Amino acid sequence: MPDASVPDAGVRHGADPFTSVLVGFAHELRAAGLMIGTGDVLTYFAAMTPLDPTDLLDLYWAGRATLVSRHEDGRVYDQVFRRYFLDEDAPAAGQLPLDPESVAEAEASLVMPGTEPGPDDDTEDQERPVLGWMASGVDALKHRSFTACTPDELAALRRIMTRMRLTPPRRRTRRTRLTTGRGTEPDLRATIRESMRMHGEPPKQLFFRQRKTKLRPLILILDVSGSMADYSRHLLQFAHAARHTSARVEVFCFGTRLTRITRELGRKRIDAALEEAARTVVDWDGGTRIGQSLDTFVRTWGRGSLGRGGVVVICSDGLDRGDPEVLAKAMERLGRLCHRIVWLNPHKGDNRDFRPSTLGMMVAAPHIDLLLSGHDLASLEELAAALPVLG
Amino acid sequence: MEYPGTVAELTERLRAGGYLADRGLATTMLMALALRRPVLLEGEVGVGKTEVAKTLAAVFGRKLIRLQCYEGISTSQALYEWDYARQMLQIRALSQGEATDEQSVDKLFGPKFLLERPLLEAIRSGDRAVLLIDEIDRADDEFEAFLLEVLSDFQISIPELGTIRADSAPVVILTSNRTRELHDALRRRCLYHWIGYPTAAREAEIVAIREPGAAMQLIGKVVTAAQRLRELDLVKPPGVAETIDWVRTLGVLGQTELTADAASDTLGAVIKDRDDLDLVRENLAEIISGA
Repeated sequence: MPDASVPDAGVRHGADPFTSVLVGFAHELRAAGLMIGTGDVLTYFAAMTPLDPTDLLDLYWAGRATLVSRHEDGRVYDQVFRRYFLDEDAPAAGQLPLDPESVAEAEASLVMPGTEPGPDDDTEDQERPVLGWMASGVDALKHRSFTACTPDELAALRRIMTRMRLTPPRRRTRRTRLTTGRGTEPDLRATIRESMRMHGEPPKQLFFRQRKTKLRPLILILDVSGSMADYSRHLLQFAHAARHTSARVEVFCFGTRLTRITRELGRKRIDAALEEAARTVVDWDGGTRIGQSLDTFVRTWGRGSLGRGGVVVICSDGLDRGDPEVLAKAMERLGRLCHRIVWLNPHKGDNRDFRPSTLGMMVAAPHIDLLLSGHDLASLEELAAALPVLG
Repeated sequence: MEYPGTVAELTERLRAGGYLADRGLATTMLMALALRRPVLLEGEVGVGKTEVAKTLAAVFGRKLIRLQCYEGISTSQALYEWDYARQMLQIRALSQGEATDEQSVDKLFGPKFLLERPLLEAIRSGDRAVLLIDEIDRADDEFEAFLLEVLSDFQISIPELGTIRADSAPVVILTSNRTRELHDALRRRCLYHWIGYPTAAREAEIVAIREPGAAMQLIGKVVTAAQRLRELDLVKPPGVAETIDWVRTLGVLGQTELTADAASDTLGAVIKDRDDLDLVRENLAEIISGA
C-alpha cells in the first residue's frame, strides 16, 4: 500500500493534511481498480465545501457519489474506505481532525465487509469438477492450419455460404429523411419549397419526413477451443462469408482468450483469410474460458460503439473451464449492452426440446434471446432467417 | 425558496414533504444542489427515484419539468419544435406585400412559433426548475450523447434564434433502471447514487409517512410480507411504491389485518406478473405467517 504522503508531487509540497488525505484516498481507489480521473477528485473536493470535512460520514458519501459511477464498484469503494479511514493502522488515522462521534457512527452504520475474503478468492486454482462433456483445460498455444480441411468440402460450403445474407435487424436513428408516402412528421421545408414553386400558392401536397433506419452491428463470437474443433472450421467459413456479404460485421474468436479477427477475415480469398486468422489466434484447439473471454469482450470492445445496440451471436457449446460466476456476470452485462444475444450451440442439433446440460449453458441461458444449433448449413440458414426479425 | 446548506436541514425538509431520504441520498442531493451537477440515480424499480425529484420541486417551490425517455425519442421531442400549423396560417394571413417584407418573415421564426419541449423549458427556467430526466436507459444511446452536450453546458443552439443559455443551471436528476448500460461519459458528468431496497424498519417509516391513516400494526405486517416477497425469485419484485399501494388498497377495503383472504384478494397491488402470482399464491401462507 503506497504511503498517502508520497504518491503525488503536488501533495508533497506543503499541501494541507486534508488535501493529502483525500488525494491519497483517490490513489488507493485507483490502485484497487476504480477508474477515477483528476476531474472526479476535484469534484470530490468541491463537494466537501458545503459538507462537514470533520464528519466521516460526509467524507464517505461525498466520495461515493463523486468517485463511484456504477453500482458494482460500490463494494470496492467500501473496502478501500474502511481500510483507509477506519482500520487500526489506517493511513488517514490521526491526519484529520475527525469528529469522534461521526467515526463511531460511521463504524456502526457503514455496512462493509471487513476482512472476510471475497467470494472469488482462492477458488481460481482449485480443481473444479467437470460437468457434462470434458473440456480440456490445456491452454494449448499452438497454431492449427485451417488449410487442412478438404478442398472439396470447403468449396461446396463456401459456395452456399456466400449466397447467404446475414441481415441484422434495423434500428431507427435520430435523423429523418423525406418520404414519398405519409411519414411521421410534416416536412415544412419541402412543402414551402413546393409552394414557392407555385408562386406562394398554398401547397397542393404536404411532404412528410420519416425516421431513417440503420442496420444494427452484428458481432460474431466464435468458440475455437478443443471441444468445438469439429465445428469451428465451418463457423469460421461462415464468419468469413458474413464478413463479406453484410455491412458492419465484427468477428472475434476465443478459446482461453479473446482475439479480434475482423481485419484478418477481411481478405477476399478465403484461404488467405483463414491462414491469416490462424496466425493471429494463438489458442486454437485449447481450453475454454467463455466467462473471461466474454468479460474481455464487454470490457474492451463492447463498451464502445461496437457492442452497444448490436446483435451478438455467440457460437459455443458452453463447456466452460472458468468460473461460472464470471460467465454469469459477463452475460448479464452483455445482455444489457447489446440488443439481442443469439447463441449457437452445435450440441443442440435438431433437438427442439434441447435442455442445456453444461454448466456454462445453464448459467448463460437466462440472458439468451434465441438459441439455435449451428451444427449444419440448414441451421445457419435458420439463423440468417431469424436475424432480421429479431427486433 | 433557497436550498438548504446542511444535510440535516435538507433531510428535514424532504421529510416534511413526505420523502424519507437516508444519509447517503441526502448528502448526494445536497452536493448536487451546491455544485449544480446532475445526479444519476439508479436502483430497483419503485424505490423512489422519481419521487425525489418530485418532492424536491414541491418542497422548494420549483417547477418540475419532466422528460420521460422512451426508445426512439428524438431531439425535437426533447428540445423544441416549430409550430408548423401556426406558421402556415400566418403565411396565409400575410398579404402579398407583407410576404416580401423581411420582418414578417423573421417573425415566422420568432419565439411565438416556438414550441418549448422539456429541455428548452428547463434551460429557460434555470434555477426556477427541477429537471427530471426519467428512465434515461430507455432512450437510444445517440440521445444520450446529445443529452451529454446539453448537460455539460446548459445551452442550446437554435439555428433560427441563436444560442439560449441558462443564466443559472437547473437542478437535474436522471434516473435509470439499468435495462441498458449507460455510457461512461454520461456517468462522469453526474454524481451517482444507488437507491436500494430499504430495511424493514425504514420501509415501515416510509409507508407511515405516505399513508398517515393506516395503522402501524398493519403497516408492519405488510412491510414484512413485502420484504419476504423480495426474497422469492420473482420476475418483478415489489418496490416500496408497491408496498405503499398494498397498504392503501387494504385501507380502501377496510381491512385492518393482513389475513390470507385479504392478502390473496389484494395481491394485484404488489405482484404484477402472472408467473410471480402463481409462485406467490403457492407460498402465501408462509409469506404472511408471523407477519
